[in-house]
Amino acid sequence: MSGRAPSRLQRLRDRWLARRLPAATSVQLTQRSIFIVPTTVGMAFLVALLLMLLAAINYRNSLAYAMTFLLASVFAVTLLHTWRNMAGLRLQAGRTRPVFCGERAHPWVRLESGGRTHQAVALGWPGQTFELADVPARGACEVELTLSTTRRGWLRPPRLRVESRFPLGLFVAWSWVDLDLAVLVYPWPVADELPLQDGSRGDEEGRHLRGAGADDYQGLSPWQPGVSRRRLHWKAYSRGQGLLVKEFAAVAGRDLMLDYEALGGDAESRLSRLCHWVQTLTEQHTAFGLRLPGRNIAPAQGRDHADACLRALALHGVAERPTAARP
Amino acid sequence: MTVALQGIPRNTLVWLLVAQVLVIVPHLTHLPLWIVALWLGCVAWRLRIFRMQANYPPSWVKAVIILAAGSGVYLSRGGLVGLDAGVVLLIAAFILKLLEMRTRRDALVVIFLGFFTVVTSYLFEDGLVAGTYSLLPVLALLAAMIGLQQSRLFSRPWPALRLAGSLLLQALPLMVVLFLFFPRLAPLWSVPTSAPRQTVGLSEQMAPGDIVELSRSAELAFRASFTGQVPPRDRLYWRAATFERFDGRRWSQSVASRLPVAPQWSPAGEPVHYSVVMEPSRRPWLYTLDVPNVTGADAQLMPDFHVQRPTPVDAPLMYRATSWPEALRQPTATPDTLARALELPERGNPRSRAWALELRRDSVDSEALVAALLTHFNREPYGYTLRPPPVGDQIVDDFLFETRQGFCIHFAGAMTFVLRAAGIPARIVIGYQGGEFNPAGNYLTVRQLDAHAWVEYWVAGRGWVSVDPTFQVAPERIELGLVEALPQERELFDETSEALLRYRHIGWLNDLRLGWESLNYGWQRWVLGYQDEEQAGLFQRLFGSTDWRIPGLVLVGALAVGLAILALLLLKPWRREKDVQLALYQSFEQALARQGVRRQPGEGPQAFAARAARRLPEHADGILAFARCYEAARYADAPVSARELAASVKRLRRELPWRKGRSTLAE
Repeated sequence: MSGRAPSRLQRLRDRWLARRLPAATSVQLTQRSIFIVPTTVGMAFLVALLLMLLAAINYRNSLAYAMTFLLASVFAVTLLHTWRNMAGLRLQAGRTRPVFCGERAHPWVRLESGGRTHQAVALGWPGQTFELADVPARGACEVELTLSTTRRGWLRPPRLRVESRFPLGLFVAWSWVDLDLAVLVYPWPVADELPLQDGSRGDEEGRHLRGAGADDYQGLSPWQPGVSRRRLHWKAYSRGQGLLVKEFAAVAGRDLMLDYEALGGDAESRLSRLCHWVQTLTEQHTAFGLRLPGRNIAPAQGRDHADACLRALALHGVAERPTAARP
Repeated sequence: MTVALQGIPRNTLVWLLVAQVLVIVPHLTHLPLWIVALWLGCVAWRLRIFRMQANYPPSWVKAVIILAAGSGVYLSRGGLVGLDAGVVLLIAAFILKLLEMRTRRDALVVIFLGFFTVVTSYLFEDGLVAGTYSLLPVLALLAAMIGLQQSRLFSRPWPALRLAGSLLLQALPLMVVLFLFFPRLAPLWSVPTSAPRQTVGLSEQMAPGDIVELSRSAELAFRASFTGQVPPRDRLYWRAATFERFDGRRWSQSVASRLPVAPQWSPAGEPVHYSVVMEPSRRPWLYTLDVPNVTGADAQLMPDFHVQRPTPVDAPLMYRATSWPEALRQPTATPDTLARALELPERGNPRSRAWALELRRDSVDSEALVAALLTHFNREPYGYTLRPPPVGDQIVDDFLFETRQGFCIHFAGAMTFVLRAAGIPARIVIGYQGGEFNPAGNYLTVRQLDAHAWVEYWVAGRGWVSVDPTFQVAPERIELGLVEALPQERELFDETSEALLRYRHIGWLNDLRLGWESLNYGWQRWVLGYQDEEQAGLFQRLFGSTDWRIPGLVLVGALAVGLAILALLLLKPWRREKDVQLALYQSFEQALARQGVRRQPGEGPQAFAARAARRLPEHADGILAFARCYEAARYADAPVSARELAASVKRLRRELPWRKGRSTLAE
């Protein structure tokens, strides 16, 4: 998230938080995990109260004293209300759909009430706009967060900040929760020549799948990342039907094998191109296999197969499990 | 679900507009009319902005409006400084800020300005009604503040108001603690006060007509509470000042009586203890019974036995006093004092002077002369009226020998003149006589129509002796009060006293009125009058000392206890049965995480337990037992107590081997 290296202070804070609020898929906010301080608005409110107090003293006006004290008491009571608005709130990580590198990931977090209503609870990571949600009493709601992705593999976002300023905005109560959120980030698909290998290795001739537009036109399907722009149906787009791509008949013949070794270029670019073809071939309902150094996936077709291939591509050469390290 | 935190929610706008009405209404009595026009214009514009029918004003329009408002204040208030102008400026800012309120921060500025404006309204009006009323604008302002925090741009306005109300209610006990124990400081610097309102009351010099005018007003002069028995009416002579100078037409205060030289006197008889809350009079005098010892209020006894303080009474003032009605006053007086009390114009009123000498001849001493004079007033056909017939240049002669109709000041003036002409030092005392006893609050209400004038004369050895010629003419004035004494002249009284007179005989209505007045008096005494002395008195009674440290500790302690009680009431920790289950489940999760089995996102308890049991077959029984127990307790509402669940997870934790390295999960 943050490009800067964490400062010493931040590291200390993270270590302390890790001890105090360990990672869990479900976290309930309790007095151990909620912090609360006055906001800038709260400070301004106190300054205003001080001015009122001065007026009360100088005019020896009992009602001005009373109003100052009433508002000061409201300030104190708001502390409890803001705290209560957070206490008992339960956060649960939802499943996050994998995304292609560069896309925004949208992890879901489920907020469950601990019995009372929680109003205007804000969730997010520092440096971005927070999402606001109201949790009904004894109910729950789901919040979709946004994360930008910069590289493939497991994206383990930093601690999530949950905060609330309700009811008056004079105090902010917050917590840093580690919900064990993890997003699988696939490589960004890049269109290129097919790194084709026959099912039987050694067949020199190989087979190049011809470029788009050569086969029988089949119909339209929604655009997905990685599909060549050349196949976009611009007419449909101009009609306002959204991004559609022209579908063509699958190439008949023997099973295809996408081979990492058959490609040139650096590792990331190879993976990106492989990713593109996994997408394309899956759309064309073509069976294919994937060969990565140290990993072979037998030819098959279908969404599950594609997911397995993409997962293998995403995790090639990086940690198999999400690690707690900051991204 | 929204992300935008910039726009101003409808809720806030609605409550802000309501709050503006409520904030400005109490100020209307001292606001120029154009402010109202400005306000209506701004509200209309703002509503059009909200409906996207109009734009925010461009900066040149704003500049013009601000300049116009500023010059408006200057023209209508004669300047930009001072309390009145300051308040008008504050309200103008409060109104104009509405037009350029774009962000939530702007809305907060308007809300804070609103709180200030509410506080300034107390400087003009601080009665029970005004004080209670001011909770309404505060309520609306808090609701507007809540609206700013709500997550939806369009939510219903009532929940915000309800929440604001509960915030205020919960804040009240804390406020009372702060109000009682927060130290009252002396003013840090002098502040501008509002321009003097036109008040009726006694003044430094009075022609007979003035006090008649005063007698038509039922406006409150002061209220007095006595410790113990209230003295009988005919002893309730409240001194304000004395008139020693006579120029042939009017009586006025002498300069010497305003010099702070305490006269000589010695207490005698039973003292009377009382406290007085007086209304602003624009005069420095305090009203007291003879001879007073006043505590607080910087009061000082003056040479003519009236009490005054250095500055005029511009705000309600409370003081305590002890009086000795039978005290001996100046048994030996200085020649200066006596000379002042004998001074007469060189000429005028020859018949009165001649009659004085005649009386002097016929009487053995001063007392006999005074008695003869009083008998004269009693026997001769003198009349007590608020409509005295006009008199000529020789006002004493005309009154004594021609018209014989007059008011207290006429009798007191004529008697003083005759006494002086006969060589007896005498002067007029002005003040109030009697008052209305309020049984609901056990105190005395004295109104302007109780204004009175009487006479005191000096006898060597006895000092000053008070005497009331009006009593000889109209004893009912002293015994019953003015309104009862002049039933045939009721059309002269103003509306209030008219109503007072009419409804005094309707029992329940009169009780209601007395109850309401008593409530107001309590408010004035215990709320408005609660300043440093009252506070010190309370501390003295509660803690037996006025040392600041004890009340300070009590303040902090009471606040802490109050907040703790409130926290308990708000958070209701005893309703956490379900949360205990969750905490136990988390403990279960942690125990398994230590063994390397972590719950996956979205994995249900059942599935997780099954997976964990597969991974740790030797503990499968314990894991599955806990999972069953948990499911039953949480989802089936089975009678599984939290204790059973706790025992189950404890058993499991004890069973599992302790793995070092992930000690961060230790409880």
